[in-house]
Amino acid sequence: MKETYSGIRESRPGRLNDLGTTGEAAAEEFRAGCLKKADRSFAQGLQCQQINSMAALMSLDDAVFIAHSPQGCIGCTSLAVDQYRVGQAHRGVKHIRNPRVIVTNLDQKSVIFGGEKKLRQAVENAVQRYHPKLIFVFASCASGIIGDDIDAIVKELQQEQEALVIPIHCEGFKSKICASGFDAAFISINRYILEKKKLPRQEGLVNLFAPVSISYADQVEMERMLNLLGLEVNYIPFYSSLEKINRIPAAQASTSICKVFADEFMKTLEEDYGIPYSHTVMPIGVRNTDKWYHGIAGVTGKEKEAKEIIGQEHKRILPLVAEIRKRLIGKRVFICGGTGRSFAAAALIDDFGMELVGLETPTYDDAAQEDIEYLNTIHKNYVVDIANMQPFEQVNLVRKLKPDVFIGVPEWAAKLGIPTTHVLDMKRPTMGYDGLLYLGNKIADQLENPGFNKKLSRHVRLPYKDSWYQEDAFKYITGGEQHV
Amino acid sequence: MSDVLENPRGGCVLAGITDVLGAAHRLCPIFHSGPGCCMQASAAEQGQSGNKNSGFVSSVSIPSSNMLEREVVFGGIKKLETTIQGAVDIMDADAYFVLTGCTAGIIGDDVNSTAEAFRAQGQPVYAIDTPGFAGDSNLGYEVIWNTFIDQVIEPDLPTDEKLVNLFGIVPYHDPFWSGNLEELSRILGKLGLRVNTFFTGHQGINTIRRSSSAALNIIVNPWLFKGPADKFESRFGVPYIRYPGLPIGAADTERFIRQVAEALELDSKLVDQVIEEEADYVYSYLAQAIGVLSWKRFAVVGDAASAVGITRYLANDYSFTPLLTIISEPIYRPEDKDRIRARLNDLEYARPPKIVFAADQYDINEALMNEEEVSLIVGSSNESEVAALKGIQFITATFPLKERLIFNRAYAGYRGSLTLTEDIYDNN
Repeated sequence: MKETYSGIRESRPGRLNDLGTTGEAAAEEFRAGCLKKADRSFAQGLQCQQINSMAALMSLDDAVFIAHSPQGCIGCTSLAVDQYRVGQAHRGVKHIRNPRVIVTNLDQKSVIFGGEKKLRQAVENAVQRYHPKLIFVFASCASGIIGDDIDAIVKELQQEQEALVIPIHCEGFKSKICASGFDAAFISINRYILEKKKLPRQEGLVNLFAPVSISYADQVEMERMLNLLGLEVNYIPFYSSLEKINRIPAAQASTSICKVFADEFMKTLEEDYGIPYSHTVMPIGVRNTDKWYHGIAGVTGKEKEAKEIIGQEHKRILPLVAEIRKRLIGKRVFICGGTGRSFAAAALIDDFGMELVGLETPTYDDAAQEDIEYLNTIHKNYVVDIANMQPFEQVNLVRKLKPDVFIGVPEWAAKLGIPTTHVLDMKRPTMGYDGLLYLGNKIADQLENPGFNKKLSRHVRLPYKDSWYQEDAFKYITGGEQHV
Repeated sequence: MSDVLENPRGGCVLAGITDVLGAAHRLCPIFHSGPGCCMQASAAEQGQSGNKNSGFVSSVSIPSSNMLEREVVFGGIKKLETTIQGAVDIMDADAYFVLTGCTAGIIGDDVNSTAEAFRAQGQPVYAIDTPGFAGDSNLGYEVIWNTFIDQVIEPDLPTDEKLVNLFGIVPYHDPFWSGNLEELSRILGKLGLRVNTFFTGHQGINTIRRSSSAALNIIVNPWLFKGPADKFESRFGVPYIRYPGLPIGAADTERFIRQVAEALELDSKLVDQVIEEEADYVYSYLAQAIGVLSWKRFAVVGDAASAVGITRYLANDYSFTPLLTIISEPIYRPEDKDRIRARLNDLEYARPPKIVFAADQYDINEALMNEEEVSLIVGSSNESEVAALKGIQFITATFPLKERLIFNRAYAGYRGSLTLTEDIYDNN
């Protein structure tokens, strides 16, 4: 019998989040099955899965987003709100809207008596104000611990509503891996919207799953590439709608732009609706873009066309990449990022002949093993930090490894005076063949002109004690009790 | 007590506390909370405050116990202990404050005893046991000051007659907090006073510790900080005055100065001289751009301090026509609402605006849509939608503010009023 996936990413066997090692050791120990779940006795803040659940859906049309939580749990929607507003501007929308976010504002009274009344009020407000087609109800740590049965409340409310009312179980304390929040959102989309109802197959239609962090420029580039294969794109869920979601089961195939976005959902789509999928890499850099493109072409029977297009694109792009390569070859790089971006960046630097000295990425699992094995064929002795950010470890490593450039969140490495750049630009291009040129020039320019960071580091200190830089960066990773 | 709200402004108690700790020099929050609270609290306030973050720790650099299912079931104190130990070992802070997330609050972890144990070993670790769900960031601002009063500030210091404490401007919750505090300090400095802003010029834990030596607490806000101000007075004998709103422009800043001068019995000759000099500075500029801004019927949307200050400046000093002022933060005490209304009704020449208290974005949008004659909205990024629908001039001047970068720009005081006027200029 098929197991039901809970949406908690660490429930998948062989996946871990806390590890300090090297590329070679990681690959070897993973192969031998010796990597054990660990923990950190000291850590900095993580991203919770509720942040991801909300961000994934907040650009949907005709939808209201209800956080069944205290007011604080919608803090990070400020990023998605900004992204949505800017995204509309990029898409030429004249009257730029706010996403409709309602917080039930659980308080001391709700903690004692339950928050059902407030949730009913929020749904009522949503319906009266906007007559939406979709109402999403996001659970929180507080709603989960006080035991509000949002499924039951929603079920009852649904009987009085035309709008689909959809609960999403993204309680923060349930997962250490924020990408679980994506899975929670898709599980609910399948259960409450698609309901396993099959549709006649529409040849040439592909589902392209993309998270909130993809810029419009990147969307256009991905759609351009897929259109070249004669495919029509159903771009989900960013800037989509109930109508587009309803078309998901009609697709000939699915693919995703991000490694940890909709990967589990695409499996489900295959199991429940017989839709094949390609789950490869984030299309950043020549190799990854090729791989991603071959992947979707493979499941849609367009291998020949893809090969031809890739050939043409290489002819156009590679000479330009070679120019950038001259400026970057041999430069030593430290990379930090989310699962998709960090490995994509690591593959990207190969295009430019750069050397990997350190890599921070949130989880280690089968997919990471594949990437690490590939990186091991190119780079030697690089450090691997399996961490959800944890800047204190990164600055310790960066101080010791002294890379020429840091690719990732710029804040902490900049204060060490190291040139910084990143591959996560939610407002500008990074993906596909054209994105690569933009990215390469950005990295090269920033590396050649590091004045800002150098001067900054002379005036600004990071918040860590000098003694910390003498310690082992992985000092706080403990075997821990066997749990989770 | 909290209401169901659409697009509320700012975060929970933890966010307000993080505002203060992030703006003061070298203070380190330690979150005893679920895994996302550091990011949520930082994004809620610093993330929508003119795009600047705490220069010390914010978001994913804040130490956190990241409570998961195991801690929810078995308690999280052990995890908290190792987290605090790690923080005092590696974070180069002058003091550490343990914040209580909803998770820790609901299961009832005893954070106070844990912090006390560290203090017994000589570590400056303080606990704040008010959980996130207790309220919004305004409450957080009061909670952290109550914590300072109860645990940090030294009693029995001799009074310094020239020292004042400035309260009521919540860092990050006012995107212009740095500039506003700098401008008000500059003005008070000209009166011969030294000012504890707590958040500018690298003021930190020592300034907080010794703040009981001030001669006066000055609250620049029409309603916030009542509890802490009373407590501060009864505990340390420092009286307070409340200036009910942000003083913007020559007229209101003069009122502000005179209120302070009266409370401290400052030399009236000096006071008059400062007021004259500063007003001259402002009007020497205003005189160079007469009639440059076209007449507007305006609406203001913002927290009470900003909304009162901006409305009064544009109506009293700039002769624009006030139609509607929306106070966009939840305020529950009737006397606070009355004080705000009184301030907005007491204009020099203009007819007072319609006053609406609404923290819910739908209600705010409705109120603005219904005011057909409005030709300028001064509000937050949240009002950009309704301004676009109405097709009228719009400037972002209140929290949340996302589309501008704000470093030291001020709207308060004399110089701030010139900046605000510059920002309202529109060449269309």
